[in-house]
Parts: sequence; structure tokens; C-alpha cells
Amino acid sequence: MEQPRRITDSFPRRLRRRGPGRPPGRLKDKKDKKDKKDKDQDKVQAKVRDCSCSPSQPSPDPALLEMLRRFDLSWEYGPCSGITRLQRWERAQELGLSPPGPIRDALLEHRDNP
Amino acid sequence: MFSEQAAPTAQGLLAPPSAEPPTFPRVPVSGYSDCSQPFQLGERSFSRQYAHIYAVRLAGMRPGLERCARKQWGNDIALRKLSELQAGEKCCVVGTLFKAMQLQPSILQEISEEHNLVPQPPLPKYIQPSDELMLEDELQRIKLEGAIDVQKLVTGTIVAVYGSEQDDGRFLVEDHCFADLPPPLPWNGPSSDRFVLLASGLGLGSVSGEALLSTQLLVDVVTGQLGAEGEQSCAAHITRVILAGNLLSQNTQSRDTINKAKYLTKKTQAASVEAVKMLDEILLQLCTSVPVDVMPGEFDPTNYTLPQQPLHRCMLPLASTYTTLHLVTNPYQANLDGVRFLGTSGQNISDIFKYSSMDDYLEILEWTLRAGHISPTAPDTLGCYPFYKSDPFILTECPHVYFCGNAPHFQSKLLQGKEGQRVLLVTVPDFSATQTACLINLRDLTCQPITFSGFGADSED
Repeated sequence: MEQPRRITDSFPRRLRRRGPGRPPGRLKDKKDKKDKKDKDQDKVQAKVRDCSCSPSQPSPDPALLEMLRRFDLSWEYGPCSGITRLQRWERAQELGLSPPGPIRDALLEHRDNP
Repeated sequence: MFSEQAAPTAQGLLAPPSAEPPTFPRVPVSGYSDCSQPFQLGERSFSRQYAHIYAVRLAGMRPGLERCARKQWGNDIALRKLSELQAGEKCCVVGTLFKAMQLQPSILQEISEEHNLVPQPPLPKYIQPSDELMLEDELQRIKLEGAIDVQKLVTGTIVAVYGSEQDDGRFLVEDHCFADLPPPLPWNGPSSDRFVLLASGLGLGSVSGEALLSTQLLVDVVTGQLGAEGEQSCAAHITRVILAGNLLSQNTQSRDTINKAKYLTKKTQAASVEAVKMLDEILLQLCTSVPVDVMPGEFDPTNYTLPQQPLHRCMLPLASTYTTLHLVTNPYQANLDGVRFLGTSGQNISDIFKYSSMDDYLEILEWTLRAGHISPTAPDTLGCYPFYKSDPFILTECPHVYFCGNAPHFQSKLLQGKEGQRVLLVTVPDFSATQTACLINLRDLTCQPITFSGFGADSED
């Protein structure tokens, strides 16, 4: 699970209100669960995150998110809480568990979006 | 041995002073490299859970254990995960041990109001006949019974068990094996006699000053200010001094200041301040003459969790101006003259002592080497930093000298491994109680104790 800290630290407050609607494909996303939790404080950050993704891509690909979620929940690579996905991937690599390469590429491509 | 190094032309003390006092240059320092980088923590984050360290420990030691299992029980044994077990099938499982102990101090039980319990006083040993062993792998756990010594083993050890699952859901163990000694390091030891002095538990700052005379004697012997020329020439062969923890005594740890009112404690100084000043003076005398490695221990002013970080040099203003003072971590690993030293200040061994039926510190030390892990009880009963990437306590290479500090007595043993490993196991005694330090000869890996006492029949070795 991502830490709320990481989202709040990296994004400056720019806008005041939350976007009108969220793309339906992201409703089940973990990040959205975080949105609901931090609704009061992070309305701004949530919107900013949407905005910061948008220059590169309208929204993260739901299939990509599904792949990342499967990576998080797969037990072979150890616990997923408390470390970033990239750290977990690197650790799995060093232990010789051969995590799938596309995950790493996706994580590096969206470095600003843990 | 040490005293045989005396120069043949040495004069005794009862001789007139010679015109030209002979000088004995200390053997030069050569080949020191500090290998304890894995134990040095950079930025520390405690927001992680300890599940990571267990996962990494299991994943890191699993290949070695599978190799050992194949070597011991044949190449064709079935290696299964707990989720793949079938009742009655003989197979081998690799996992982490967990010992469920009734007497283990549990903070949750203590603060739970429904039990109305008084906090349990610390006991020397927490073992009981009713303890049970469980094997855990990444997903499941299973109770173990059979040919496995429940009292001896401790939580956190990675083990491979061979047996079969019974119908009642328990695993009947027929045999088990550990990771065994790690692969040996090449031997580049010196060809002439060189000694390293190991001492631990100086216990400065204690209420009684009995050990102070012995500590001063130790310093005088090492710096060559004691004895006639014979002893001085012997002392010139000491290339290094390692102080393995507990430089301050337990008395400096009083926490009364926390409980008392502020107006009572405002002007009092912590007892450790005086003790650290004393330590600084002693280290100053030692550092002017010989390289010293100072490891922190249980009662020293550094962090509590393993790996303990080095003492900060601002606490030792006089001694830290010398480059011969090295403030190192606990556990400590270094190459001295081609000989690999690895040791701790004893917290890992005494923790295993509390939770296991093994009584002998040397036996526990040997067992940790065979289990392939410096302190298996680490996150469970001994404080540990939440590592996530790798477990630095896993033994990947076999050291030549493996020591632990603050043991009740001095013991040493030379262990020979199957792959040609030669390890000298040393339990360094507590100096404040026994006034004994150890001298290790790097050339042939022998060890002898050296006792300093002000009064009594025992003279210096």
C-alpha cells in the first residue's frame, strides 16, 4: 500500500477542488481507496495527481494497474507493504526470483506515480 | 605462546638500568580492512514491518538449505512447500521455525486488563516442557513433532526438515538439517606471530572500582609500560585491541530520572557521562600505542536495536583525535592481516541462551555458525532494524575467528569444517567480573586467556 506521505510530499498544491468525475476504470484502484481515506486533506493532491498524469497519458492504463496489483499480491516476492513497488521488484531480482520485466519498465516509465 | 616471545637478551627487573634502554617497535600495521558495511545503516526508516526481514531471510537461505538437504538425504528427495504437502508423503520442507513459548514475555498479555497480570519478572530462561515448534514458510505454518529437539531450537532459525505429514495435520520429523558452515575464505594469515587482544565488558562507571586496577594493568601491558624488557617485547607483538562491547557498566543505565520529579533530577548528571569520560582517558592511553576497535554493547550509549551503530566520536574527544581509534558497529567484521574476524558483543548469544536449553555459550556460538545466521532470534525477542532488502546477519562466508563478548567464562575451540573451514570460536569473558582478556595468535589461530588481578595467586600469563 502506498504511504499517504509519498503522495503529499511530491505534489504541490495547485488547484482547489477535486475533478468533476473520475474515470470509471480506476474506481477499484488502490489509489482511489487512498482518495476516499484522505478525502478532506488530499482533495487537492488527488486532483493534482490526475493532472500530473495527464500530460503523459490521459489516465494510467487499467490493464497496467491490474498487472501491478497482481504483482503486489503475488506471494513469491515477499510482503508488499511498506516499500515501493520498484524496491520490491529490485529485491526480487536480487534474490533471483525473476520478476517479470514489463513491470519494471512500467514502474520506471511512471516514476512519479508510485 | 605469548610469553615465549620474550627477547633472549632481555634483562629482568632486578638489573641496573642499562645505558641505552632498548626499544621494541610494535609490529607494523598491515592489511586491515573493515568489512562491516552491511551493518552500517544509512538513513533509517522504522515504518516498515518485520515481515520483510523474515521473507528475505527465508528466500536468501533457501537455496543453501536445499543444497544441504540434497547432500544429506539424497538427490531425489521431494522438496515441497507447505501448501503442496500430501498426507503420508515423505518430503523435505524448508522454512522458518517458530517456537510457541508459554513463558515468553508478551507485551500484549501484560497490558491486557482482562488478565489482570503483574508484569512478569525477567527470568534467566524462558523454556518450558510445554513449548511447541512450528515451521512456517511463505504462506502456511505447520506444527512439528518427532526427531527434533524442541527445547534447543529458537524462533527464527531457517531449517530443512525431512518427514511426512500426519493425518492430524502435524508434521512428523524424521531428520532435520541446518545451513551448515558457510563456504570457507582463503587463508592469508601472517607468517610470524601476531597477537590481537580481545576484551569485553570493561564495565566502567560501576559503583565498585575493583575492575579499574585490572583495566589499568591491561592498558599498561599493551602499551609496554609494565614488566621487564621480556614482557615489553612480548607486548610489541600485539597488533590490535578489540573491545567487544559493554564498555560502560549496567549501573550507568539507571532510569530513575524518568520516574522522579523534575526538581529532584535537574542538577544530576547521568551516570554514563562520568563513565564515558573515564573511557575516553583509557582509550587515549591505548590509542597512542596500538590500533583499537571499539564495539558498542548492550549498555553503551548507542541505539538498542541490532546492528548497533558505532559510538559517536564526539563522546570521546581526547581519543578520537588519533587515527588508531576505530569506532565500529556491533556485529563487527574485518580483515586483520588476512584473517577474517567476525563477532558481536554477546547480545545475540545471551538472547538465545534465554530461549533455548543450551547452557554453554561456546555451544550456542557454534550452533549459530552451523545454522548460518548470527542472531536468528533477531526481530522476535532481540531488537532489530527492519531490513527489507537483505538480511545482513546471514553468514555468507566463513570467518576465521568468530567471537562473542560478555560471556561468563573464557572458552575457545578450533572448529574444522567439511569443506576445509577452520574457525576459531572464542567466547570473550566479561572483564569487570573475571578480569580476563583473550590473546589470539593470528599465525596459527590459537587463543589464550590473560588475567589481570591486583591481588591473589594468579599472576599474568
